[in-house]
Amino acid sequence: MDLLHLILATLAFLGGFVLAAVSWRRGSERPHGLSIPIAVVGLVFQTLFLHERGQLHGRCPITNGAEVLVFVSWSLVILYLALGRAFRLSLLGLFSMPMVFLLQLVAIVYLAVADPGARPPTRLDPWLELHAAMSLLAYGAFGLAGIAGVMYLVQNRQLKSHRPGRLFYSLPPIRHLATALVRLLVIGAALLSIGIVAAFFMDVRPSPLHLLASGAVWLAYALLLAVHAWRRLPPKRLSLSAIGAFAFALATLAAL
Amino acid sequence: MSIFCLGVNHKTAPVELRERLAISEHSVPAHLGEICGLEGVEEAVVLSTCNRVEIYGGSGDPASALDRLVAYLESHFAVASGEVEFYRHADVAAAQHLFEVASGLDSMVLGETEIFGQVKKAYALAQSSGTASRRMHKLFQQSFSVGKLVRSSTSIQQGATSVGSAAVDLSEKIFGNLRGCRVMIVGAGEMSRTTAQSLLSRGARSIIVSNRSFDKAQELAAELNGEAVRFDDWETKLDEVDIIISSTAAPHAVLHAETIRRVMERRRGHSLFLIDIAVPRDIEEEVNGIDNVYLYNIDQLQQIANEGRVRRERQIAVCREVIAAFLREKGIEALAALPDGRGSESGRSHPDPSGRPLTHP
Repeated sequence: MDLLHLILATLAFLGGFVLAAVSWRRGSERPHGLSIPIAVVGLVFQTLFLHERGQLHGRCPITNGAEVLVFVSWSLVILYLALGRAFRLSLLGLFSMPMVFLLQLVAIVYLAVADPGARPPTRLDPWLELHAAMSLLAYGAFGLAGIAGVMYLVQNRQLKSHRPGRLFYSLPPIRHLATALVRLLVIGAALLSIGIVAAFFMDVRPSPLHLLASGAVWLAYALLLAVHAWRRLPPKRLSLSAIGAFAFALATLAAL
Repeated sequence: MSIFCLGVNHKTAPVELRERLAISEHSVPAHLGEICGLEGVEEAVVLSTCNRVEIYGGSGDPASALDRLVAYLESHFAVASGEVEFYRHADVAAAQHLFEVASGLDSMVLGETEIFGQVKKAYALAQSSGTASRRMHKLFQQSFSVGKLVRSSTSIQQGATSVGSAAVDLSEKIFGNLRGCRVMIVGAGEMSRTTAQSLLSRGARSIIVSNRSFDKAQELAAELNGEAVRFDDWETKLDEVDIIISSTAAPHAVLHAETIRRVMERRRGHSLFLIDIAVPRDIEEEVNGIDNVYLYNIDQLQQIANEGRVRRERQIAVCREVIAAFLREKGIEALAALPDGRGSESGRSHPDPSGRPLTHP
């Protein structure tokens, strides 16, 4: 049943992407009216999947790579729904849906081929749960920041080329994208900081590799924000850095 | 009971004729009263803008009503019989015409939004004059729905159609809202003035004008409610502005990449939009290669405007599909079905004694 919910969620995000793409191809400046309801449907199925896996393990469902990918996707969607409109990033769905689809597709294949099954904890540690949940929510924010960075680069390229294409009219102004990108980085860094602080109170000491990877991701984003606060990085460089940093963060997830 | 439309527009009559037929806003109520006094005319709405004079109404015998209406217009506006070729539509064709007008498909600048407000105003005037009852109410409410639907579901409004609107579109894609933006004009030409006015109309905060002739700079600054600076000093203001419109008569570049690089170091990540409408160009081309700086010259803006016009023309068919679907779904049968005690003539043919065409579905 849990896999079915994950498949349904993945299909919803694929549908959302197709709808957004068709709407954009037709030249509509605004996202399709159904894009938000479809994202909500996807979120409901994602939540059902995570709930069922949580019931299976008796703890936060991040016991294997597939669950981690779904949790990151869930964070990405929930932040998109919560912040997309506030940050005036109307087309974020067009860019974020394919990423969520791909992450979940990998998760489906993983679970279909080698589902490790239930992994109940020997003792429930709330600090461990908090650490994991906050860290993965942070990854969601970093993912959205990376997507905002891609959108900035696309819009910047269109403006520089003097031949604005169809996306030009649909994408938000570059000033909004740059502002949203910084806010998402700050939100992500704050959530990751909470996750890392929680790790200090956990019963089990994390492995050196885990410590190194988490520390490196936190340091990368902290450095990026510090340099930006100090020197005001040009938005293009900031966008490239946000994309690079998220690629690095994803690589550390894979390593863990 | 049928609905009808009679009128002239920028496609069918030159401005010399349209200005003679134009009905000023304050005299619309009087004309509406007289039009509704004509035999067979039961409701009326007058839409009079710089591009069109149209009368919408309801009648049990639209062909005769239209003839009386033509005679009325010819006698009241000193137009010789047959001098003006009015278009006449009835029933679905009349509704379709109004829907196209409200959607901006019949406008000189395709997809423009001003007409939507003008249609609303025309209907409000008829309502306050007591000449629009249930049928016109329904028809015009539907036209507002269609106007919004067409604009939101197609890209008929997308893309600039003039150099000024291209500059505004680009500015908004860089800065978002222009309310906080400061604009500098270097060289007080006509094109700079109209471009600056477009930016101001969209909320740009203030204007700085610099020109070799300081008197001219002061004159333009006064007109635009801005500040004039001497030509020797304009570079000192570069840090303060977001958009620069340059159109000097200098035979060589007056704004160099090196200058802009220095300015950008001080701007701490804020974008700069440069509009070079001078020929020969005022701004070195390399400037566009600097991060966060966007440079457009007159040809590039013109190209965007041309593409915008073509894009909008391509959307006409899509918009007409939207209108046709709306008509199929809602139909004007709903209008005809409204109680008037005389039943519907929707869809029937109306013989026109004048022999002029009366378009029907």
